Amino acid sequence: MKHRGTLLIRLSELKVLLRRVFIFILFLCAFLFILLSHVDSVVIDAANRVVMNVTGPVMQVVELPSRLIHRVYTYFYDISHIYADNRALRLENKQMLMLQNKVRTLEVENQLLERLLNYVPPEDATFMSAKIIAESGDSFTHTLLIYIGHEAVRKGQVVLGNESVIGRVDKVSGRYAKVILVTDINSKIPVVVERTRVRGILSGNNTAMPQLLFTRSTSDIQEGDIIVTSGVGGMFPSGLPVGFVNSIKNGVIEVETMADISRVEYVRIVDYGLSEQSDELNDLLENDINAR
Amino acid sequence: MHDNFKDKLYVFFRHRIPLLATLILMFLFYVPIYSLELNYFRPAVGFICVYYWTLKRSYMFSYISAFIIGFFMDIYSSTPLGINCLMMLFLVFVTEMLARYFKAASFTGNWLVFSLAGLILTLIKWLLISVYFSRFVSISEVIVNLISTIMFYPLVVYFNIWIQNNLLPQERINE
Repeated sequence: MKHRGTLLIRLSELKVLLRRVFIFILFLCAFLFILLSHVDSVVIDAANRVVMNVTGPVMQVVELPSRLIHRVYTYFYDISHIYADNRALRLENKQMLMLQNKVRTLEVENQLLERLLNYVPPEDATFMSAKIIAESGDSFTHTLLIYIGHEAVRKGQVVLGNESVIGRVDKVSGRYAKVILVTDINSKIPVVVERTRVRGILSGNNTAMPQLLFTRSTSDIQEGDIIVTSGVGGMFPSGLPVGFVNSIKNGVIEVETMADISRVEYVRIVDYGLSEQSDELNDLLENDINAR
Repeated sequence: MHDNFKDKLYVFFRHRIPLLATLILMFLFYVPIYSLELNYFRPAVGFICVYYWTLKRSYMFSYISAFIIGFFMDIYSSTPLGINCLMMLFLVFVTEMLARYFKAASFTGNWLVFSLAGLILTLIKWLLISVYFSRFVSISEVIVNLISTIMFYPLVVYFNIWIQNNLLPQERINE
């Protein structure tokens, strides 16, 4: 009887010990995950894919009421602004008609010059639209989860909202993809100031206003200047509008995104074939190095 | 023998109710609200739930449950994988330690302890993420997020109390 009692005590002690070891392993796993997520690990990608594919359909159902409320709000908001919008659009239309004539002339001139230079134009970009089904839930990140269905989307593709850049595809998991917004701390886009051609890097900082970094000087930049992608690095094509300079204070240039990210319901994922081009370029470089 | 297995299975699933309720609530709070500014006010419901269930039903809410919630938070919010797992494990650890002093405390007392624990853990998380990205993440948005989480505490706790009273009425009270 006494022997049985001792055995039971030993067993409970062992249970407590095993529990502690298990907790220690969990802490260790969390640290391991942090280390693994620093590199593009296959394990992390697989985990992402599984979770997104399992929870994605749930999110699609859950976001329906939210979308409905947003639509009703947008409807009444648009109605209340209908007069002002109409006036602005009439003015814009006049300016557009003037620009249209100018563009036609430039197009003809451009075609003539292309023929003279034997210029081979790049292939047209293809695009697809995708619905936003979830947003990042905290202040540490600015990401979106979108439903892409069975479309072929690749990591690094440009994501547009209302014709201007709002981010890039970060992860593709089956029918879902994760988009890193330009405001996210991970986002760094090579850009150029359209007016002065001053180059820089548009860096997200988890606020609504990303900053323009590594510019030659701030004297060539004014508030209201349009920021477009520079195409440096081959990730983004050049000339895509991103935003405009909102403020310049103590050398810190804050940029406001051109697209109102808050009101975007659908995004466009554009394939400029840049990743394929860079793959081809890499192959060529590799062959060249091997030949040498 | 057969009944015994069925009972065990029944108990197992009953004990997963807090985890499931937390996951459902988390998904509800990930719904797009189409506003970048309002996004900062989105509370960390996972944080509140983990604290609540560890304090009130610790035998139903293990470290592994907290780890799973942290894992989902990491995947959905795109923070480096493991950061929220670690934070949730810390939260369970701290709450279990504090439970012996605050288990019988009033609602306000628990709210106050949660606020303090939340502040400390948010600062640790902010520091970890800043180290990870090698630059300081804007603290003002993080503080706004924390304040919003603290403000939402009663609402989330009342939801959990509702779950506890309606879905787990005959469970042993761990208070």
